[in-house]
Amino acid sequence: MIAMLAKLLKALNSDSAPGQIALAFALALITGLTPLLSLHNVLIILIACLVRINFGAFMLATLFFSGLAYLLDPIAIMMGEYLLHYPSAQGLFGELYQSDFWRATKFNNTLVLGSLVIALIAFIPLLIVSRILIISYRHKLMVWVEKLKITKALKASKFYKVYQALAE
Amino acid sequence: MKQWIRWSGLAGFVAISAIFVLGWLFAVGPILKYSIERFGSQAAKAKVEVADVSLTFDPFGIEISGLQVADSAKPMENVIEFDRAVADIELFPLLLGKGIVNQVTLTGVAFSTPRNSSGALAEEPQGSQTEANDAVADSTSVTDSTSVTDSDKEQSGSQVLPTADELLAREPLLTEQRGRKFEQSLNTIKADSDSALAALPSSDDLATYEDEFNRLTSARFDSLQDFQQRKKEFEALKKRIKQDQKAIKHAQKVLSQGQDTIKQQWSVLKDSPEQDFNSLKSKYQLDASGVANLSKLMFGDSAGEWAEDGLYWYQKIRPFLISNEAEDESVTDAALMEKQRKEGRFIHFDSDRPLPDLLIKKAQLMVNLPEDKGQVAISLYDITHQQRVIDKPIRLVALGENLNGMSALSLNGTLDYRGPVGQERFDLLVQKLQLTDYSVGAMGLTLDQSQVDVVGQAELKAGELQATAKATFTQAAFSTKDNTQLAKEMVLALEKIQRFDINASAEGALSSPKVSMRSDLDTKLNSAFNQRIKDKQKELEQQLKRKLNDKLMSYAGNYQDQLKGMGMSDQSLDSQQSKLTNLANSELSSYKDQQKAEAKAAADKKRKRLEKEAKEKFKSLF
Repeated sequence: MIAMLAKLLKALNSDSAPGQIALAFALALITGLTPLLSLHNVLIILIACLVRINFGAFMLATLFFSGLAYLLDPIAIMMGEYLLHYPSAQGLFGELYQSDFWRATKFNNTLVLGSLVIALIAFIPLLIVSRILIISYRHKLMVWVEKLKITKALKASKFYKVYQALAE
Repeated sequence: MKQWIRWSGLAGFVAISAIFVLGWLFAVGPILKYSIERFGSQAAKAKVEVADVSLTFDPFGIEISGLQVADSAKPMENVIEFDRAVADIELFPLLLGKGIVNQVTLTGVAFSTPRNSSGALAEEPQGSQTEANDAVADSTSVTDSTSVTDSDKEQSGSQVLPTADELLAREPLLTEQRGRKFEQSLNTIKADSDSALAALPSSDDLATYEDEFNRLTSARFDSLQDFQQRKKEFEALKKRIKQDQKAIKHAQKVLSQGQDTIKQQWSVLKDSPEQDFNSLKSKYQLDASGVANLSKLMFGDSAGEWAEDGLYWYQKIRPFLISNEAEDESVTDAALMEKQRKEGRFIHFDSDRPLPDLLIKKAQLMVNLPEDKGQVAISLYDITHQQRVIDKPIRLVALGENLNGMSALSLNGTLDYRGPVGQERFDLLVQKLQLTDYSVGAMGLTLDQSQVDVVGQAELKAGELQATAKATFTQAAFSTKDNTQLAKEMVLALEKIQRFDINASAEGALSSPKVSMRSDLDTKLNSAFNQRIKDKQKELEQQLKRKLNDKLMSYAGNYQDQLKGMGMSDQSLDSQQSKLTNLANSELSSYKDQQKAEAKAAADKKRKRLEKEAKEKFKSLF
């Protein structure tokens, strides 16, 4: 866990493009909020592997969003119920239901559909916001943090040694 | 853009995916094998063994080789085994946890095959053992009830003209009961009589008494002492005679009572054969319908066996075909809500392809008929325990192939568990079945040959069976091994009947249906047999009477001789008693009387002499 957090900090402090880290967060939003053993998550993981994002950030964010999902699941389920019973969408869902592939995606599960829609809705905002935050962190927060006594104390800690070792 | 693509990541993804897939491919066979053996054994309550399970890829599916399901009731026998089963499985539904099998083909299917090792489970839980016993008990009760009731069989058996010996051996007879009592009394009385007679004086004793008596009474008393001596002896003799008289009286009493008892019991015993005969006659009244009830005799047992087999397989298979939705409904709403809150729920839409948890769209197997009569190709469609999901019943189509000894065989069935009440229906058709050397089971009769057409239907609804079957026999030829006149008459009557129908029906609870069989054969035979039955009845009655009389005489034994002997003894005793009474009544005259008698005799003599002399003197005067 410490190593993973160190990797994240390393990524944040490295020369990695802020967009790559932000995309990792955004993709992790999907894998974290939706049930992991779903067909769409295979696609997300494939994207995460194929696109040059920060994989450590992706993994850590997935863990974080999985925890958050416990709080959001009731809302996701309500969202799924609403969507799957939405009258004008019945035709579409009926069509998809005829296909084994789409059935395999479990799109007709209230939690899967609801959480996926929430994740997709939040995808772009999270991508943008996290990118802005990373840039801000590097330009302002990182400099300010470096000056903090607590940072100096941390640099003397074991955690920092690990961080350093990974950074090299 | 190039800096955004990480090809190494793609390679890693492919590598990791490949590891997962290969691992699954290698593991799935053993896992499936383990699952089939473990859960199959639990379900069958006996060993289920699989030689190998492997995956196939074109089309995707599994192949099971060498499956054996042991019979829990007969551990050294397999209920079923097959060489190979290939299942074509749809891949995408499998990702949803749905086993959709397009087709299963079983080859080398065989039933009731011997095993090399016991198929009993090593450690059978108490509960399951009890259930097995219950199953056996159920099966037994089913056997009792379905295989044409025992009482029916016994009745029909009894009406197949039992012999007099069979009837006498079968029934408790008054003749035997009373005969044994009579025999016992006779022996007791004989022993008592012998004992009483042994205590009687012999003829020598009587002669001695007479000699003694004469000696004591005829000789002259020489003196008073002589008189007293003889008087003493005379009293002793009388005492002995009186004792003997008492013994004779006792013997007479014993003989008299014995005779009365024997005569009384004999009169009761004498009536017993008649009473037994009347009882037997009323119980075993023969009639033509009884004797000619050939339809039940011919196929009663077979129908029972078929029903038993069918019921066995039905009870084995049915639990796997019924959805446990009812049990699921018992899950509390709160628990369901909790589950849905965590995992969401699936919303189902109208579909041409609904997916139950397990569906075998088509299963095919080939079964060999016994005695090389051909094969039956069995196809089963839409096998699932969730029929409501696909809204289709299970269908069964069985067609005879390469048939030998029949022209067509088909069995169509539907097993519909969609509604609240399960419903099964089967239609059977057999055409031109050649029946040869079929033992009728009575009077040595054999149906040498016949051609049979069978049409049958069976419907089971809510555990209630309603089944009918009609078998039409043509070109029938009977023969008999028995040399009895009746059997010959039966064959003669049957020769005139070349076509007949048997209508069978079963109604009621599946576990105890009421089975009945009717046939116009019975009606046809009735008229032919009425006269013959009357003759046979008469003959049997005569036999019964004779046998009962024989039994009576066997118990009576030397009763007449003994009774005669006792009568003679009685007469002899009367004579002895009379003699002894005369002797006992005699008295010894006294010595004084003897002297008086002598004086009187001398006086009489003197008086006679004087009278004579006076007469002679008186004559000389004239």
